[in-house]
Amino acid sequence: MVCGKGVEGIDILLTLLYLFIFPGFLFLFAFSLFTEYLDRKIYARMQRRVGPPFLQPFADLVKLAAKEDVVPEKAEHFMFTAAPIIGLAAIFAAYLYLPIVSSTGLHSFNGDLVVVLYLLTIPTLALFLGGWYSGNVFGQKGGMRVASLLFSYEIPFFLALLTPALIEGSWKMADIVHFEISHPLEFIVSLLGFVIALIALQGKLERLPFDIPEAETEIVAGPLVEYSGRRLALFRLARDAEMVVGAGLLAVVFLAGPEPIVQLEPVYLSWIVGALVFLVKTLFVIFLLILMKSAVARIRTDQMISFAYKWLIPLALVQIFIAIMVRFLGGI
Amino acid sequence: MFKGLVKWARVKSPWILHMNCGSCNGCDIEILAALIPRLDVERFGVLLKGTPRHADVLVCTGPVTKQMKERLKRVYDQMPEPKFVVVVGQCGSSGGIYQGAYGVEGGIDTVIPVNAYIPGCPPRPDAIADGLIKLLASIDKGGKP
Repeated sequence: MVCGKGVEGIDILLTLLYLFIFPGFLFLFAFSLFTEYLDRKIYARMQRRVGPPFLQPFADLVKLAAKEDVVPEKAEHFMFTAAPIIGLAAIFAAYLYLPIVSSTGLHSFNGDLVVVLYLLTIPTLALFLGGWYSGNVFGQKGGMRVASLLFSYEIPFFLALLTPALIEGSWKMADIVHFEISHPLEFIVSLLGFVIALIALQGKLERLPFDIPEAETEIVAGPLVEYSGRRLALFRLARDAEMVVGAGLLAVVFLAGPEPIVQLEPVYLSWIVGALVFLVKTLFVIFLLILMKSAVARIRTDQMISFAYKWLIPLALVQIFIAIMVRFLGGI
Repeated sequence: MFKGLVKWARVKSPWILHMNCGSCNGCDIEILAALIPRLDVERFGVLLKGTPRHADVLVCTGPVTKQMKERLKRVYDQMPEPKFVVVVGQCGSSGGIYQGAYGVEGGIDTVIPVNAYIPGCPPRPDAIADGLIKLLASIDKGGKP
C-alpha cells in the first residue's frame, strides 16, 4: 500500500476515507470556501464594513455552477475548457502530499517538497493558457502579465522554501517536520525565509499588492474576462484551494505542520490532534496573507519585478548563505 | 431539491455590472456611492464586476442614445442566463426630459426587457440598494427563475 508511516496497516476503506473525505478532497473543498469567507470577512472588517455572510462563497459557487456557460466564438474550445480543470487538479494533487494528520502525508518520499512546489506552479500556467486562448484582448493581456510576473515571485519562493531543507539536509517534508520539532531554534534561523516566502506566496496567489494580472481597474478581470458559469467557478475554487495549499506548505516547512503530535490510543485520536495543530498554523499563515492584502495597494508591473529582483532574491540568497553557514558550523 | 438550493444561491449572490447608456453621470455617481463601505452591499453578496460574463444583474442608467442602442443590446446578449436588468433613474425608466430628443431612442425598456425600475433624479444611494434588494426578494418569491 502506498501509505506513509502514519497510516500503515490500515485497511483500504480508511485510505479511501483519507483520500476523499478527511483530510482529502471534501475537507479541502470546505476549507477553501471557509478561507475565502475569512478573507472577505476580515478584509471587510478592516474597512469598517460588515462583510459577507458565512455561506457567501458557497452561494457564489452554486450560482456560478447553475449559470449558463458561455464559450466565446473566438476562444479555443478545448484549451478554454481544459485550463480550469488542469489548475484545480494540480492543486488537489499537491494537497495530498502535505503532511496533515501525521508527519507523513498520504505518500511521503525523498523530494516530495520539490514535487509540491512544481505542482503549485501549474495553476499559474493554466491561468495563462486560459487567458491566452479566450480570444479576448483583455484576456490575452492578463495572460501575458501572469506569465511575465511568474519568474519574479517563483525564484524567491523556491529559494526561501529550500532553506529549511538545506538546514536539515533532506528534501522530504516528513524529515523537515521532525527536525524542526527537535530543534525549535530552526524557526529563528529561517525567519527571513518565512517572510520572503510569505510575500512571494502573495504574488503567486495574485492578491494585493501583486494583483497586476487581474487589475480590474485596468484590464477588467485579466485572464478570467471571458469565463462564466462552471469554468469560472472552477477557477475561483482553484484559487481558494491554492491559498489553502500554499499556506499549508508554509506551515509545514517553516512551522512544523502537524507536530508536535501527542501519541494517543487509538491512533485516530492523535490524528485529530495533529490535524487541529495543522489547522491552527495554516490559519495563522492565511491571517498574515489577509493582513498584507488589506494594508497595501496595487503596484505596477515594473515595480513588482524590480522589487523581486532587487530585494526578494538577494535576501533569499542571504538566507541560503545563513543556512549553509549554520550547517557547516555544526548545526543548531 | 437542487432547484431550491440554486434559487437560494441566486438570491444570495447577485453580481452587478454597471452600464451608462447616455446618462448625465448623476445616477452613476449615486450607484458608486451605493457601493461604498458605508452601505456595504457585500452584506447581501453584491459585488461589482467589470465584465458582462461574470454579471447577473445589469444596472443601467440614462436614456438610450441611438449610438448606445446596439452596444447595450450587445452587452445584454453577452451576459449568461439567467440575467436581470435594473434601471436607475428617471431617464432610464421613461426617457425623462430627453424624451423625443433627436439623438435619443427612449427608456431602457425600449431596447431590452427590464425587471426593476428605481425612480429619482438621481435616486439616493440607499434607494438604489433598496431597489436591488426588492428585486432579489421578488426572485425569491418566485418571479422569473
